Amino acid sequence: MHKRFKRLFTSVFTGMLTVSNMILPAFADEPYEVYNYDRWGEAIPSQAGYLAERSISGEDFDIEHFSSPNDIFKDDDNNFYLVDSGNNRIVVFDSEFSEVVNIYDTFTGLDGEPTTLSNPMGIFVDSANGYMYIADNKNSRVIKSDMNGNIEAEFTKPTSEVYSQDLTFLPQKVLVDSAGYVYVVVNNITSGAVMFDSTGEFVGFYGANKVKQTAEVISNYMWNLIATDEMRARRSKSVPVGFNNFDIDGQFIYTCTQSEDTDIVKKVNPAGDNLFEGLDVVWGDSTSNVDTDKTVAFTDIDISDNGYINCLDLTTNRVFQYDSECNLLFVVGTTAEQLGGFKQVSAVESMGANLYVVDSLKNTITIFEETEFGSIVHQATDLYNDGYYDEALDYWYEVLKYDGNYRKAYLGIASAKLNSGEYEESMKYAKLADAGSRYNRAFEGYRQDWIDSHFDLIIFVIVLLIAIWLVDVILKKKKNTTLFKMLVQAIKSKLAKRKGIKSS
Amino acid sequence: MMDLTKRQWVKHTIMHPFEGYEDLRWKKGGSLKYSFIIVVLLFVAQIAYDRLYGFQFYVSYDKIFNIIPYLVQSIILFATWVIGNWAISTLLDGEGTLKNICIFSAYALIPYIVQVFINVFLSHFLVRDEYIFMQAIQVIGTLWSIILMFMAIKTVHQFSVLKTIGDIILTIFAMVIILFLLVLLLSLFQQVYVFVYSVYTEIAYRLKV
Repeated sequence: MHKRFKRLFTSVFTGMLTVSNMILPAFADEPYEVYNYDRWGEAIPSQAGYLAERSISGEDFDIEHFSSPNDIFKDDDNNFYLVDSGNNRIVVFDSEFSEVVNIYDTFTGLDGEPTTLSNPMGIFVDSANGYMYIADNKNSRVIKSDMNGNIEAEFTKPTSEVYSQDLTFLPQKVLVDSAGYVYVVVNNITSGAVMFDSTGEFVGFYGANKVKQTAEVISNYMWNLIATDEMRARRSKSVPVGFNNFDIDGQFIYTCTQSEDTDIVKKVNPAGDNLFEGLDVVWGDSTSNVDTDKTVAFTDIDISDNGYINCLDLTTNRVFQYDSECNLLFVVGTTAEQLGGFKQVSAVESMGANLYVVDSLKNTITIFEETEFGSIVHQATDLYNDGYYDEALDYWYEVLKYDGNYRKAYLGIASAKLNSGEYEESMKYAKLADAGSRYNRAFEGYRQDWIDSHFDLIIFVIVLLIAIWLVDVILKKKKNTTLFKMLVQAIKSKLAKRKGIKSS
Repeated sequence: MMDLTKRQWVKHTIMHPFEGYEDLRWKKGGSLKYSFIIVVLLFVAQIAYDRLYGFQFYVSYDKIFNIIPYLVQSIILFATWVIGNWAISTLLDGEGTLKNICIFSAYALIPYIVQVFINVFLSHFLVRDEYIFMQAIQVIGTLWSIILMFMAIKTVHQFSVLKTIGDIILTIFAMVIILFLLVLLLSLFQQVYVFVYSVYTEIAYRLKV
């Protein structure tokens, strides 16, 4: 019965929709319900921070259709480099994606002979020096080429003892820091990114993940203490999960890992320390979410110009955008055929207010544009994270007009009010944000204010109490009675008198 | 000597942890009515602890309110304690009757309940830095209750100290078994209900088609 009703309802509803579609002009909407998370990790409806504007495929530019593109990179001149892995080429677009600027498919090798790519997976463009670095996966090399396609250097499998010669060298992703060091993520290497200096010399590994301390790992360790060498060789080793993508922002390298719960996103400083260590963040969808109990699998990470962290989740085909303090701002995208949905995401890039997501099965690049709501949230977040609480206040109020469930807005207002000494307001908003510690601070201020303004009253009450107590003591000693007893007595006698009057 | 009202007996018992219960037992000063009131107060205290605490100390999950957990935490837990203790102590030649166990155990809960109410009250006036005061009250109240509970069991059955300890451990074990059987029974009934309901829907469907 329930089902039948549901079906009826749906058919009526679709009917209404078709009719309304005929009348109303179509408007842009997402093929999914936009949500965010509250303090309890539960998904609640929210406003869209980004809307899919359009998607781009090879046919739009009269070039061969993309074939499983795997990476996208924006250089300092705002040109976009798409790694079109299946077609073994690099396609360069201008910043508006209005034309193809260049296509690299053959390069001039070190020996002067032409050479081609084979399943390239990643690219990094060093605009300042005019070089591009391409992770040429199946050719087991990373090439450093100038902008005319002349290869300047090749980074191949290190011959060092540190790099086990049994292992293959299949570069996935590449990036270069300001000092010229080249970092390469290699398939099946779990000890971190392979690091070369600018001359192509192997330096070491960088930013390895930690082994998760599971019961298995601990028991392995215990066994290895007592096992013989032969037994040890046969036992499986405890190895961390290697990270599968990274991005660089200034001197920090952000890595993402498809792991259960450790080191999912790291911010690694030049010394190799993880600055996000110990941070209490649930990355990606929390398990209590509406439509999934799959584990999160971040396949790409991108740091935007404003320091937002965009993480691309392979299992849900969603972009999770965090601010620099790892607070979730927006969730964008889903698994769907329509514009704004994806089949298998592979890379994310950002420029200004836009997000660019590459789909390796749909073979498209989808451009997301920031909505008005998104822009207000971003402005508020920027000010708030820089400590300009008062300046951010108006933006937060604006955010609440769009979405009354946006928790960060309540937090922001509570902080601003706390700063300006409006403790009662701050308490109210802290309560709405479910933020106990902020409420605590606001309450402390409120209580202090109250005590300061009611000091006379407090002293008066204390003096009064002491006086009563003293009288009580004296009374007890001399007449064996207390004030309370006397009061009761008085009331009783009065009542009795009244009763007497009534009855007479 | 010791001509106290039932209410005064409650006060006397909790204020004299070491001989109060002996007096109470000797003079038969316990009241079942007061013990029930105390258990209901425990129930109220559990809810107050979860819902009325100052926001700066505890942000309670207030999207739903389910009374069952509070019932289980107070009344059902107390009932299983009494029944479990009675069952075990009967085997161990304890002298306590079910009624007396109920009364004596309930009186022992008073410091704990009072502690919860005091803390709920204080939590609206203190800030996190002053949590130590609340913690002290909490520890004192709970310890007091534990001592009282121990003396209650010891007195009501006229056990030695060691036997009381053994009795309490066995009682906890019995409680676990009782609760386990309860859960089992509940899920069994649920299965029966689901079965009956599915038979009903099947028949209803056949009748319709």
